[in-house]
Amino acid sequence: MVSGPPRRPNVALSSDELDTIVRRLGREPSAVELHAFDAQWSEHCSYKSSRRHLRKLPTNGARVVLGPGEDAGIVHLGEHGGRRYGVVVAHESHNHPSQVVPFEGAATGIGGVVRDVLCMGAEVVGVADPLRFGRVEDPHAYARYVATAAVDGISAYANAIGVPNLAGDVYFDEGFDENCLINVVALGIVEESAIVHSHAPPDADGWDVVLVGKATDPSGFGGASFSSLTLDSADTAANKGAVQVPDPFLENVLMRASYRVFAHLRDRRVTAGFKDLGAGGIMGCSAEIASSGGYGADLNLDEVNVAIDGMTPEVIAVGETQERLLWVLPPSITPDVLRIYNDEFTLPHVAFNARAVVIGRLTSEKRYVLRHRGAIVMDVEIDFLTGRIDDELPYVEAIRHEPEHHELPAVDVENVFPQILSHRDVCSREPLYRRYDWVVRGTTVIPRGASDAGVIAAVPGSALGLAVAVAGNPRYGRIDARTAAELAVSESVRRVIAVGARPVGLTDCLNFGNPHKPDRYGEFVAATDGLAHAARELGLAFVSGNVSLYNESKSGGGIPASAIVACIGALSDVAKTVTPGLKRAGSALLWVGSRDLAVGGSVLAEVLGLEGPLPPVDYEGERAAIGIVQSAISSGVLLSCRAIGDGGMLTALARLAFDAHANGRTIGAELDFGNPLCEAGGFLCEVSDDQWLDVSGALRVGTTIERPSLVVNGTTFDVSALHDIWSRPLGEIYP
Amino acid sequence: MSRRIAVLVFPGTNSEDETLRLLRDCGGNATCVHWSEAEKLQEYDAYVLPGGFAYEDRIRAGAVAAHDRMMDAVISAAGAGKLVFGICNGAQILLEAGLVPGTGDVRRPTAAFTGNAPVPHFVCRHVYLKLVVDPQRCAITAGLQPSALIPAYSAHGEGRLAADARHLEEIVAGEHLAFVYAHADGRVDADAVPNGSALGCAGLVNRHGNVLAVMPHPERDGWNFNHLARAEGDDVLAPSGGAAIFQSFVAAVSA
Repeated sequence: MVSGPPRRPNVALSSDELDTIVRRLGREPSAVELHAFDAQWSEHCSYKSSRRHLRKLPTNGARVVLGPGEDAGIVHLGEHGGRRYGVVVAHESHNHPSQVVPFEGAATGIGGVVRDVLCMGAEVVGVADPLRFGRVEDPHAYARYVATAAVDGISAYANAIGVPNLAGDVYFDEGFDENCLINVVALGIVEESAIVHSHAPPDADGWDVVLVGKATDPSGFGGASFSSLTLDSADTAANKGAVQVPDPFLENVLMRASYRVFAHLRDRRVTAGFKDLGAGGIMGCSAEIASSGGYGADLNLDEVNVAIDGMTPEVIAVGETQERLLWVLPPSITPDVLRIYNDEFTLPHVAFNARAVVIGRLTSEKRYVLRHRGAIVMDVEIDFLTGRIDDELPYVEAIRHEPEHHELPAVDVENVFPQILSHRDVCSREPLYRRYDWVVRGTTVIPRGASDAGVIAAVPGSALGLAVAVAGNPRYGRIDARTAAELAVSESVRRVIAVGARPVGLTDCLNFGNPHKPDRYGEFVAATDGLAHAARELGLAFVSGNVSLYNESKSGGGIPASAIVACIGALSDVAKTVTPGLKRAGSALLWVGSRDLAVGGSVLAEVLGLEGPLPPVDYEGERAAIGIVQSAISSGVLLSCRAIGDGGMLTALARLAFDAHANGRTIGAELDFGNPLCEAGGFLCEVSDDQWLDVSGALRVGTTIERPSLVVNGTTFDVSALHDIWSRPLGEIYP
Repeated sequence: MSRRIAVLVFPGTNSEDETLRLLRDCGGNATCVHWSEAEKLQEYDAYVLPGGFAYEDRIRAGAVAAHDRMMDAVISAAGAGKLVFGICNGAQILLEAGLVPGTGDVRRPTAAFTGNAPVPHFVCRHVYLKLVVDPQRCAITAGLQPSALIPAYSAHGEGRLAADARHLEEIVAGEHLAFVYAHADGRVDADAVPNGSALGCAGLVNRHGNVLAVMPHPERDGWNFNHLARAEGDDVLAPSGGAAIFQSFVAAVSA
């Protein structure tokens, strides 16, 4: 007999879902069961509506070591000393919590995605954060508070755990006034023979289930279903209880203790399962790690280390207290693991009642059983709890907003270019990222913000390099969800190419509105089509991803379609990194690209008040451009390079000149190109003057000069004056 | 058996791996020692306190760690003349422990590295440390050239030297000011200082010259791959730049 009060109304389960549960159980669910199904069957956990569309994404490839399905995906990085190394990558969102309590929401976003990477047996080597904020001009606007507090939350957490911030982007758009997007990518390095999986291994019947980390408290109760509802500012006070409390100090120690456990398990040749506690808390994590290995579980909630007495069993079971992980271990090794966490790394002295503790065992019966104070408070078929549920939602084909194609008027570059450089989507991001520690671990090769992608030396003692870049332009998303998704893939890929890395894998986070609105859902569906198409055309696979729906307020404001993509790059030798900034005067400047010179979605269009469609991505041209740049790198003729994005070719050139200056080189350029402010795609490359003819397929667009000036179609700009215009705007918001 | 260097790991330390790696790449015989094995510390010949947020920077950065039992061993070793080198959070701990500038009693600090000014935020920025004492004034800097410039990354929220006028006077008069912040060309001015530090201070040494505390991280610009300006053909994995101070430290430990 399962005991507990009857079901309560404050859950997100539909009445159909409740009926299904009652029929299957043959009785009313207990309170614990009700909250367990509420979390486990939320979109956040189950992908019940999105999964059918995510299936379209390519997830296999020669470099894929582990595709989507566990806490993080893995792509092959390279070999060193006879060992194969993989990049572990997870991409998550923490949008809803960050809108309500931005510091804590953004901080716990870092903590969670870092644990997703950690639990694969990896050493965490970096994070990257794509951010989307509302309008920040008004100092009293809530959106401005969100934009500053979220950055501080990221900084406070990642800096303390000692994980460098390698890359990221930020856009400001009124579409995010009531719904910020806080996406986080975390990266780790693992030896491919030592991967730890998020499921119980074979022959694990009777193994211990060991909970590790912070004492369970009532914070974060209902987080999974909270993420699957639209935000209403009137509910803000109530929603705050669903957000967790960050403790980066504890996470720092948990990471280091877990590294020690990994080494111990390898010494003893023990295979175990390890998984982060995310949505659905102890219940969600233990049910998934058990069922995905083909087991049930029998756990006693009285064994859980708690922060306060008197918590109800549903809060202990489903609450989403941060900084917790769960092992399944053979009983012979459990005492060693408990000793490492509790004695060597003294968890109970690091945070109140933090520890590693055995809370139950795996069973061969495929039931999920929770006990509390001598009573069974949950007893269900585990596969019914964690099994695939489907919710086919109707959608209407996303409308491509196809504004008339305007002929571009003659652009007054002298007046317009400064407006573009100081535009909120183009100006320097340094005021934000200087709050992040992007050099901890001592591995930095390309400093944060200095080029299109971050690069680190990935494996101590080897020259293997890891690059990462993100993309996902909301100005594009507003016009055409599908093409914007394609451009997110192609831009992130080009950014990784521009630093000299070879793209090896992708991740995505699909941030969209309420899926029960067929037009909003249509944007999501179109974006998945776009991601799948672009990845196939460029020969890449998605190894990890996340879906964040319901990003809108009840007042009806939806966000611009936001398929955000990260591209992982590999360098066999970091000496081959394309370093930032123009290198010398007298070089040839080449445009390598093919895209239509249309203005739709560009910063130029916004500045001039123009509209236009997004031109389709020409994949043959993309592949050709990538090939040209890669062969220029391998033959050693490429001196510097930027992918052309926001603000067009002239902005890319200005950035190359700024970075030359920052590294003590005074170099300017003359540029002669039809419209240097179009976001024409492709690359702007610096190649020495006597070798540029060897770069076949490129168009020569200019020459570098000894003066600190940019001379564009006859108009002269002073580089340091441009630098002032570009570097100032965000300094007011992030002093 | 070469002299042994302990890299101390407090709860919250986060820069132990790269510090250990650079010490070893510079020829040091270094090992990490964790807070639960403090009793091992006395077996070592020299001590490095790496960066991080020991004890969560509670009260003030370094204040709690200064009272950890690992510091009992470090304080007595410093008193016996062994070398102690603190970086960033390690430097904060050495000030809170009263070992540098060392003008007062142990664990009664006369100066502190405290909240940055004018903006009290964490700031990450490339800087140069400029040696402003005779290299021989401090055993750890003895291998550097006079007025040496050491590239490093400043990455902290609490790095502003603060002390009252009398104690600042003592720092200057006693030649405790070992390093100031400088530009790449060696110029020293307020723009070079990332945190509002008094005297432009980036590093302090004790009276006997065996304890050195520096706020910026030389180990984060310590290998060729860290430098954008490296020359073609350089071994990217070789120590360089910020490694100079590690090489000097290792040489002093071995001397």
